[in-house]
Amino acid sequence: MFFNIDIRYAIAASLISIIATSSGAAASFLKDHLTNLRLAVLLELGTVGGAMCGFFISSKINASGLYILFGSFLLFSGVMMLRRKGDTHSTVDHPWSQRLKLAGEFLNEKGVIVPYKVANVPLGLICMFFAGILSALLGIGSGIFKVLAMDGAMKIPMKISSATSNFMIGVTATASAGAFLLRGDIRPEIACPVSVGIIIGSWTGARLMPKLPATTIRKVFVVVLMIASVQMLLKGFST
Amino acid sequence: MKDLEQLELRISQFLRIGVVAAGAMMLMGIVATFKLSGDPFFNFQVYDQISLKELLELHVKNGQYGVLISYLGLITLISLPFIRVLLTAVLFLKQREYLLALISSVVLLGLVVSFTLGLEH
Repeated sequence: MFFNIDIRYAIAASLISIIATSSGAAASFLKDHLTNLRLAVLLELGTVGGAMCGFFISSKINASGLYILFGSFLLFSGVMMLRRKGDTHSTVDHPWSQRLKLAGEFLNEKGVIVPYKVANVPLGLICMFFAGILSALLGIGSGIFKVLAMDGAMKIPMKISSATSNFMIGVTATASAGAFLLRGDIRPEIACPVSVGIIIGSWTGARLMPKLPATTIRKVFVVVLMIASVQMLLKGFST
Repeated sequence: MKDLEQLELRISQFLRIGVVAAGAMMLMGIVATFKLSGDPFFNFQVYDQISLKELLELHVKNGQYGVLISYLGLITLISLPFIRVLLTAVLFLKQREYLLALISSVVLLGLVVSFTLGLEH
C-alpha cells in the first residue's frame, strides 16, 4: 500500500508473515494449555477447504475488487473491535463435540478452573470455511472471523477462542501460501523483509503488551484500521 | 498423559526453532541482496505472472544465491504448519484417538491438494 506494490504480491507476502506470527504464538500458547488442539484440528478442515476455494477465486478476481473487499473487511473489523461484550457460555454440548470430546476447561484470571462446552459445531465449521476463503483472498489470518464464530456460534470462552484461532491461522495461511509460492506470487524481495520484521516485532509486542492498558491498544488499532480501510476503498473505486 | 504433554512440548519447541531458523535464512538473504540505490520494489508495481520454477531457474542462471537462501527460508516457514499437522496426527494416533487422527490426515491431504493448485495456474 505505501510502496505502491501490486496488491497480489502484497497479499502473498502477507500470508508468509501470518505463518511466522502463528507459529511463534502457537509455541507459547500450547504451553499455556489454552489452545484446544482437538477443536483446532476439526476446524482446520473448514479453513483449509475455504483457503483452497479462495486461492481459486483469487485468480479470477481483479485488483480493484480486492481493494474494495479488503477495505470493507477492515471497516468491519474496526466496528467489531469497538463493540465489546462479556464472555459467552454454553450449557449444552453439541453431539459432535461429545463424540470428539471437544469440551475442556481452563484457568481464569482468578485462578479458578472454568469448564466449558462447545455448541453448534456444524455452523462453526461453515464459518471457518468462509474465514478460509477470506484468508486466501486477502492474505490475512482472518482470526477476527474465527474468534467471532467460536465466540458467537460455538459459545467458546474468549481466551480459548483467541488462542485456538491463533493456532489455526498458520495452517489456513499455509494452504494458500504454498499455492501462491508455487505460482511464483511470493517474491522474497517483499516477503522476507516483512517476515523478519514481523518476527522481531511480535517479540517486542509480546513484551510490551502487559505494560499497556488494553483500551489504549484497542483505540490505536481502531484508528489505524479506519485510515487503512478508507485508503483501500478509495483505491478500489478509483482504479 | 505424561507422554502426551511431552509431545505437545516438543511440538512447541519445534515450531519455535523453525521460526528462528527461517527468520535467520531470510535475514541472510536480505543482507546478501541488499542494494542501496534505487527503489527496491520498482519491479513489483505491476503484477507479472512467472511460476516459481521459472523464477528459480532465472536466479540460478544469474548466480543470485542470496535470493535462493531467501527462498529456502520461505519454504522452511511454509512447511512449519504442514509438519505441525503431521505431528498432530501422530499425537492422536499414539493416544488411540483414531477419529481425530483421521481428521488431521484429511487436513494434511487438503494442504497437499491446495499446494498443487498453485502448479496448475
